Amino acid sequence: MKQLIELTINNRVYEVPVSPKDLLADVIRDKVRLTGTKKGCGQGDCGACTVLIDGEPVLSCLTLAIACQEKKIDTIEGLVAEDGQLHPIQQAYVDHGAVQCGFCTPGMILTSKALLDRNPKPSEEEIKRGISGNICRCTGYKKIVEAIFAAGETISTAGVK
Amino acid sequence: MYLNNFEYFAPKTPGEALDLVGRMGNKAKVLAGGTDLIIMMKEKMIQPEYLIDINNVKEFKGISYEPGKGAVIGAATKISELEYSPVIRDKYFALHQAAGELGSVQVRTMATIGGNSCHASPAAETPTPLVAFGAKVVISSVSGDRELPLEEFILGNRKNALGEGELLTQFILPEPAPKSASRYWYIGLRDAMEIDAVNMAVNIVLENDGRTVKELTLVMGSVSPRPLVSVEVPGILVGKEFNSELVEKAAQAAAGEAKPISDIRASAEYRREVTAVLARRLLQAAFDAAREV
Repeated sequence: MKQLIELTINNRVYEVPVSPKDLLADVIRDKVRLTGTKKGCGQGDCGACTVLIDGEPVLSCLTLAIACQEKKIDTIEGLVAEDGQLHPIQQAYVDHGAVQCGFCTPGMILTSKALLDRNPKPSEEEIKRGISGNICRCTGYKKIVEAIFAAGETISTAGVK
Repeated sequence: MYLNNFEYFAPKTPGEALDLVGRMGNKAKVLAGGTDLIIMMKEKMIQPEYLIDINNVKEFKGISYEPGKGAVIGAATKISELEYSPVIRDKYFALHQAAGELGSVQVRTMATIGGNSCHASPAAETPTPLVAFGAKVVISSVSGDRELPLEEFILGNRKNALGEGELLTQFILPEPAPKSASRYWYIGLRDAMEIDAVNMAVNIVLENDGRTVKELTLVMGSVSPRPLVSVEVPGILVGKEFNSELVEKAAQAAAGEAKPISDIRASAEYRREVTAVLARRLLQAAFDAAREV
């Protein structure tokens, strides 16, 4: 039994037919066709499917799409400015070589954003704690931590959100 | 990894929610955070016909505190809200610690205090300190509310005291005693995103001299099917001046009371060893903190 619902993703309203059982990760990827959001373990352990809902990091593989009506959903695609300019966090990941295979990167960046929104100048320990729900199978954590640290500096000096 | 078909309901008021829970009974499951429920559905451990999403009922959410009376926490309150709540940190520190160590930041954003107790995993984080604080739960249905100590609500591994048509709606925490402090910690295989091998909470009240133990509760998690409240540790320390000899005796007593199993995360022998380690550390830390109050 499908029904039409409205989802607000990256400030754009999408009308999508969903069943109650449809997971947000599948709807974002297969129906809205935003494939930046990845599906990894499907059990909430790896963090690859992380999206922001009302600014907070959420596992879209354990979230029902139908429960997300009237909420503000942000995916990795929404971080890039309209002119194509990367968000300071994305730029920091590029500058620090924090992207290897790239599969964990969208979730990792969105988790980084939620962390920096709450705490723009986190310590190394706070960064490690903040991203502990995002697993990088290439194990490039050191550069990721450095990138988040640098992005925090850029954001707090420039006042970018 | 797909879910069965079900009908979805998102009530907006407590009345609507309780009416749905009452009418659908065992054919329905309540969706709070979903971090356990959706996984169980994916694994086909359960296949409910109806899901009742209680996240839009604002009366089921939030933390209120009244000085002298204590705190009331809505069952659908997110773990991250407990983690960041100044009142929880100031008055119920062990709960603040447990909330901050549960899962990952994503899981804490989604999961709820009510779900953590209803799911009743022996390794759950928040029931341990909540039992140490003497928390009660409010169980609601269309015919009214009843209260139960959380210790009696959790019956065993994934078993709780909810009857058909009942919903867990609130936690009631008593006001902490003067000259009291609480501490929580855990030991697991890794630091983050782990399932505890052993967790523990201590809530201690001192006499005005700052040395004599007036009241003490020590609760162990993951060493029994349900939160295990130590009987022997208060017997050793209450009424006595706190000292390292008694702490050592108490730590050994706690390890003796633990009824751990061997599983993928740790052997029973290891769990018993670290029960003593946690007890020693937490008794000392809670005592030191209570002296400062």
